[in-house]
Amino acid sequence: MPSSQDIAALLPFLLLVLGGLVLMLSEVFLTSGGRGYQSGLAIAFGVAAAVAVPFAPQRVLFGGQAVNDGCAGFVAVVVCVGLVLSALLGRGWLATRNMERGEYYALALFGASGMVLLGMATDLLVAFIAIEVMSLAVYSLAAYPRRGQRAPEAAFKYFILGSFASAVLLYGSALYYGATGSTQLSAMKGTGGGLLAGGLALVLVGLAFKVAAVPFHAWTPDVYEGAPTPVTAFMAAGVKAAAFAFLTRGVLAMVAGTPFAVGTELGGVLGLLAVLTMVVGNLFALPQRNVKRMLAYSSIAHAGYLLVGVIAASTPEARAQGLSAVLVYLAAYAFTVIGAFSVLAVLERKEPNPDASSGDAWDVSRFSGLASRRPWLAFAMAIFMLSLAGVPPTAGFVAKLSVFQAAASAKLWGLAVVGVLTSILGTYYYLRVVVAMYMRPAEVEEPSAAPATVVLAIAVAALVVVAVGFSPEPLAAWARAAVLRM
Amino acid sequence: MATLLNVVLFLPLVGALVAAILPRGEGAQHKTWALGVSLVVFFASLGLWFGFDPSRGAPEFQFETSVPWISSLGIGYHVGLDGVALLLVMLTTALAPIVILSAWNAVQDRVKEFFIALLFLETAMIGTFAALDLVLFYVFYEAILIPMYLLIGVWGSANRVYATVKFFVYTFAASVLMLIAILYVWMNDGKSFDYVVARSALQVSPAVGALLFGAFALAFAVKVPMFPLHTWLPDAHTEAPTAGSVILAGVLLKMGTFGFFRYALPLFPEAALQYRGTIAAVATFGIAYGALMSFVQTDMKRLVAYSSVSHLGFVMLGMMAITAEGLTGSVYQMLNHGVSTGGLFLLVGMLYERRHTRLISDYGGLAKQVPWIATAFLVVTFSSIGLPGTNGFVGEFLILSGTWLSRLRSPGWYAAFGATGVVLGAVYMLVLVQKVFFGKITNPENRHLPDFSVREAFVITPVILLIVVMGLVPQPFLAQAKPSVDRLIARMQAAEQRMRQADPTLRPLVGTEPAAMAFARPPAVPAAAPEPPPAGADAPAHGSH
Repeated sequence: MPSSQDIAALLPFLLLVLGGLVLMLSEVFLTSGGRGYQSGLAIAFGVAAAVAVPFAPQRVLFGGQAVNDGCAGFVAVVVCVGLVLSALLGRGWLATRNMERGEYYALALFGASGMVLLGMATDLLVAFIAIEVMSLAVYSLAAYPRRGQRAPEAAFKYFILGSFASAVLLYGSALYYGATGSTQLSAMKGTGGGLLAGGLALVLVGLAFKVAAVPFHAWTPDVYEGAPTPVTAFMAAGVKAAAFAFLTRGVLAMVAGTPFAVGTELGGVLGLLAVLTMVVGNLFALPQRNVKRMLAYSSIAHAGYLLVGVIAASTPEARAQGLSAVLVYLAAYAFTVIGAFSVLAVLERKEPNPDASSGDAWDVSRFSGLASRRPWLAFAMAIFMLSLAGVPPTAGFVAKLSVFQAAASAKLWGLAVVGVLTSILGTYYYLRVVVAMYMRPAEVEEPSAAPATVVLAIAVAALVVVAVGFSPEPLAAWARAAVLRM
Repeated sequence: MATLLNVVLFLPLVGALVAAILPRGEGAQHKTWALGVSLVVFFASLGLWFGFDPSRGAPEFQFETSVPWISSLGIGYHVGLDGVALLLVMLTTALAPIVILSAWNAVQDRVKEFFIALLFLETAMIGTFAALDLVLFYVFYEAILIPMYLLIGVWGSANRVYATVKFFVYTFAASVLMLIAILYVWMNDGKSFDYVVARSALQVSPAVGALLFGAFALAFAVKVPMFPLHTWLPDAHTEAPTAGSVILAGVLLKMGTFGFFRYALPLFPEAALQYRGTIAAVATFGIAYGALMSFVQTDMKRLVAYSSVSHLGFVMLGMMAITAEGLTGSVYQMLNHGVSTGGLFLLVGMLYERRHTRLISDYGGLAKQVPWIATAFLVVTFSSIGLPGTNGFVGEFLILSGTWLSRLRSPGWYAAFGATGVVLGAVYMLVLVQKVFFGKITNPENRHLPDFSVREAFVITPVILLIVVMGLVPQPFLAQAKPSVDRLIARMQAAEQRMRQADPTLRPLVGTEPAAMAFARPPAVPAAAPEPPPAGADAPAHGSH
């Protein structure tokens, strides 16, 4: 039975669930049309959950099925940051489209609670529950604008493929249970054999789907493009962080106690996944003129760099370094990508005809001349693009540097070289946006009003990205400390 | 004193941040502010110049600051200057106000952003020369790309987007492998990114050393640029606004040569000694190639750009000679190229502002209309082609004599081929002067051109003064560089000793041929007598040649 300490350790998770329930009820008891407070409530619960992280006792929960450690806390904070920033973005985005409802924020909070739980999971069953809580909320969020075809289509695609991936994960868990007699990650210590290998491989496939690693990435561009922009931002930051947290735990448990260490077949599979993800993600992003799709492929590419960090963490030489590199990367990526999607949300066309299937709502030409129309907005977007490309002095550079440094410590020179070479491609497609903003004359003269909350989200993200670029030590030290308490 | 370097380093950045909150509409305010900041930085950097101690016993790096920056990753904020870095920092701080003044009227659009970019660029440039931590260096080295990319892409001419994207991707692509090499160095020097530690503690096998040297050399060779990696340069130079061209030619290219001098050679001396013949051959080819390409250009800026390829070939040739004369000349030629090519771009920019064309054929007979511009152009041309009495002569003479006396295989051929660059340089530059300034006025539009304005006179006078002073009195400049050059030679000699231990039949590599030395040594620069290295550096062999 969960003790009171277990409950206390779940405080951030419980706060997010409570917030979700409150927001659902708010819609029932709504007496006037004013819904402005709902985003405020969601943000308040998100902030409260983040603030609660240091107060939650760090301990093993539910007899080893979950753990609240430094890593879980770090991921919880990243998820909450993602939630708060995307709620700020969602507030502005939904209000201008007259779509603001309590369910939106309730779903986001439930999704975030699933992500926080996934960050704590050390058991395949708990992980499955967390993934489902997270995914069902995100499927629904993707379908949130019911009008039109794009969003429901994206959501349906995501749902079908996501359910399939979940089923694969579940099947892998069953095989795992068959091999070890338990669903806990620690149970594979000292075991081996084909059944376990099969189970682990299937679990890996399920997780690779969630983090959008090649060749399980095919859903990403369509879903990222079709989902409402604030939801895409939340997915890119939150789902990635949570899924990577569990993937890392799984890989660490795998190399700690089984013959499938890095260098063996299953370890080689991870390396191959990383290389494929970096190469394909960057190559496919190259021809995209649709900025939203470009960011989707870029998120695939970034999953590749994160996988390099995970592989580094799975070697004894670079365990702590690799782990903290992954955490730094997740945090840096969360701020950068939410910032980028926020700018995109300001510029995207308010589709008068939602069924217009052309993707030019996010065409790069919409950025043309932005630097003269909205200099600060263009400047912020330039910062986000440079950060995604990994150019100093931005957070993205620090993240890439720490991942490659961890790879160096693990002597994974091949992965590091592939990583830097593929990042060259990135400079080209990210710079295309900067070129449009600064070096092309304006084509679109639509007034693109940025609601105050969106401006706030962009400003916070840009400041953090630059601050981390100039002074990365607080973030790096925090990640290092989180890893030591693991 | 250490504070002074930090002030010089970050004052432009602070100036840029302040400029960001000044009102957009007030263009004059931004110009004045940027000029003021850059002048203050220049005068502050004079303190570095006079505070630097070039004597034998003085520490190698002065004005040092070393504090942790990202301690979890082992990265420090370690800055300091040796003589060569000091000279290049001075070049940067001196060119900055000139460049800002030159852009006074040329930039009408987005004035605020232009000067913010220039100030940001100044900090990044100074930081590249001052950094003594490998990652810090990489950060500054890459951070340059952002403002330069915007300078070319936003304020450049017709084909600017192509040029700037090419510039960015080319340079970024070449330097990412250097990041991996830096990480490899970190793994093999006891996990330190500190340059001074890495230089003495790095232990790698010759094969790996060659790979690492290759990674560094690739990054720097693109920046220099060395043939055949130079193709971004004519585009970037031509499309950039005048200010961008001057900074690009004056300072940015020096980052490549400085990188060889500071990083590629001292960190991997064995590999450098092994491949220096190849690099010197490529550099020599680049000298002739750049000169021949200049010959056929119809666009003045493109011509000057190709002449840069040729001049930087000289710098690389002198460096690969690894003699005291060659290295000193190489360092001196870095400064000379900054001054003279910077001056040429400034003058071409002034002509462009008057006529809005860069084509040589649109000009002709300007000397009668604008005698002062013609005079200045001629002086800068003399400097560029290395006429005695100008700074260019000192550098080219040292480089060619240093190459001639070096222990490269058949050094005479390198020197002889290099010297063709001097001859060709004289031809294409004088033909340019003749076509633009002399003869009859063929184009009626050239009949009524104003000569220097007061502002332009202020822009060009310091350049002319530097050309003359550095040509007649090179000693103060050479003296600052001497300790760094001597230390590098000592380091290379130590590497040679190590190589000889492995292979006793190795022929002498470093320094000058003794027979030739007796009569050919220029008095200004006594050949290197290696001095005791500072504490913390690895012990070089004390062999004099």
